[in-house]
Amino acid sequence: MIVNKKIITKIEGEATLKLYKKNEIIEFAQIEFWQYRGIEEFLKNRHYLDACVINPRVCGICGHSHLIATAKAIEDALNIEITEKAKILREITLGLEIIQNHIKWFYLTLYPTIKKIDFFKAFEFSKEIAKIIAIIAGQFPHNSYAIPGGVTCDLTNLDILKIKNSLKKMFDKYQNVIDIKGDSKDLENLFNGISKELGKSINKFLVLGDNLYFKSNGDVEFVKEEQSISFNKNVLYKDEFVEVGPLARNLNNKLIKVIYNSYKDSIYTRIFARIYEVNLIFKYLLKIIDEININEKSYIKPKNCSGTGIGIVEAPRGSLIHKVEIENEKIKNYEIIVPTQFNLSNGTKNKPSAAQASLMNENEKFADFIFKCFDICAICVSH
Amino acid sequence: MLDVKKVKQRIEELRKLPGIASKPLSEVLEENGFTRRDFLKWAGTMAVALGLPASFAPVIAEAAEVSDRLPVIWLHLAECTGCSESLLRTASPTIDTLIFNYINLEYHDTIMAAAGWQAEENYEEAVKKYKGRYILCVEGAAPTKDNGDFLTIGPEAETGLHKLKRAAKDAAAIIAVGACSSFGGIQAAYPNPTGAVGIYKVLDKMVVNVPGCPPSDRNIVGTIMYVILYGQLPAVDNFNRPKFAYGMRIHDLCERRGHFDAGEFVEEFGSQEAMNGFCLYKMGCKGPYTFNNCSRERFNQHTSWPVQAGHGCIGCSEPDFWDSMAPYEEPLANHKFESVSADATADKVGITILTIAGVAIAAHAAISAIKNPKE
Repeated sequence: MIVNKKIITKIEGEATLKLYKKNEIIEFAQIEFWQYRGIEEFLKNRHYLDACVINPRVCGICGHSHLIATAKAIEDALNIEITEKAKILREITLGLEIIQNHIKWFYLTLYPTIKKIDFFKAFEFSKEIAKIIAIIAGQFPHNSYAIPGGVTCDLTNLDILKIKNSLKKMFDKYQNVIDIKGDSKDLENLFNGISKELGKSINKFLVLGDNLYFKSNGDVEFVKEEQSISFNKNVLYKDEFVEVGPLARNLNNKLIKVIYNSYKDSIYTRIFARIYEVNLIFKYLLKIIDEININEKSYIKPKNCSGTGIGIVEAPRGSLIHKVEIENEKIKNYEIIVPTQFNLSNGTKNKPSAAQASLMNENEKFADFIFKCFDICAICVSH
Repeated sequence: MLDVKKVKQRIEELRKLPGIASKPLSEVLEENGFTRRDFLKWAGTMAVALGLPASFAPVIAEAAEVSDRLPVIWLHLAECTGCSESLLRTASPTIDTLIFNYINLEYHDTIMAAAGWQAEENYEEAVKKYKGRYILCVEGAAPTKDNGDFLTIGPEAETGLHKLKRAAKDAAAIIAVGACSSFGGIQAAYPNPTGAVGIYKVLDKMVVNVPGCPPSDRNIVGTIMYVILYGQLPAVDNFNRPKFAYGMRIHDLCERRGHFDAGEFVEEFGSQEAMNGFCLYKMGCKGPYTFNNCSRERFNQHTSWPVQAGHGCIGCSEPDFWDSMAPYEEPLANHKFESVSADATADKVGITILTIAGVAIAAHAAISAIKNPKE
């Protein structure tokens, strides 16, 4: 058996992939992350509002999801109900972060592992979408407009009109990437000469968040962290490894189900679910933006100052969990579990994690491609 | 400094060097739908941003065209990629980012075409080939504890600290992009478990700091353009920040400044005062202590910035702001909530933010609050 150490870059950080192989066929894989920053340590003994400023810095790519998860966790701890308007605004910015993440991932991270492509295509979307987020949140990346109790901004009707207009424009444009019927030239081109059965995984899915149109199918109580071989920690659900992310949360969509039925959880299904999810989110956002009542309050002041809470959101890469313990306005304890930890845990050959299972029994030349279809975020893992 | 002749001479010298880009800038711009007119307009605004007279615009345009003669190597240390995101992906393709792409073809962890081993080879080659000529941009802090073992990069598991020192040795200029590489950033916040520091602390060379979390693309490209124009680093303040970008306080040009002067403050999020867009000083806005041009340049192609969205400035371009500016939703003068960091940074605060101007502002705020007839 030959062991090949492969350095995976361009995943917002770096990971080391150890491949155990026989005649170019991967028998087993181990994933290591060699960075550590210690974000949870910084939060202790600070005022809980500070978490809303610090936590987006866990990640420059999906920082907004961390912000919303933080606000939700604190609201859970202090028993705060927010207004419908604040909820909708948060849904819009979070949905937009997922959209621009998927487009950039597809053209900038995934595509170049197989074929050359003009990745400026992705920028046409990300630029415009970041602008919509900026109208609501001030800037993108790294803003702190969501606070426990609501949001800080007060939009006018003109702002709403601008947002709606841009959303429609982007939705129309996205039909050239993949249309609502599921036809995509770029995707077919990517799989030209590659089997759509490639990279089947463990076929166990978990959804914990219930933001946007997603529906939870599990209970966070059964999620456990355990030590791993490098700086990251393994995450299990009911003592089993599971897959989280766009495929897991969109399996109730008819079109995605059809593809799932023919190719199971191969990387084709996973990639399709990811880029098709963008259409579904656009549709959902265009629906909820009409439900905004700008006369509602943006913010409701919290009354309690102690408690424990959990905030869960479906982030671009899957279920993101924040747990907080507040005592007299001070953070006593904070814990973050990110989606990449679920997908990229280090199991054994008999009990592999989602990413490990998808790599096993495949040709080594596809290792980068298969690995990156999980949209890895090394920076989130090493928070 | 305003010697056009000298700058032209330098551009001519650069022109003689072999270019790295595969095609001229004019073609790259054209392919992305920008006209020559757009480009000259960009050069004009860049001149203004750099604090130069408008007559410099054509020279800046020329400098941009030869910018591929000075390769840029972009190193990622302990960070979140937010700065690259701010510059390369989210706000693109503006002319700023296209030009940056055009300059930076040599090595960038996130956007370069090569990956894995190949990328590491490219890096080694670039450092050798352009010895003494490349501009080194660093994103992220350097963890120093346990000999820097909290961050290892590449196939040889080299520590970030070692890689940085090696790259800095033969760099023509070193630019720290973002709060982390400038002053340590979030990694260096109390209790700083990895011993993270700004890169200037571990290098024995001059480092220009372009702090912010993230800094705007205009400030990053502006600093690089300056180096290309003059062949030297821009004028800096006492924290080594370019004066053209960090010369004034957020507060000086803030759109809510009028309300500050009139004593009209927001005292609770979601209140009528918040809806009216009053001053956020009492909600913990650190604009009066923060030197940066956000209130002038804004973000995402001039769309908005945090204060416009109703959240106070957090002071992200100031050293140690994660500790010294906390809690972020309370005015510093209040001392209503003493966080653990208050003890941790007692010594830092003295030298960093509470400048005489800052104290004067706090006093002014107190007086205007008293004068406010509504109270």
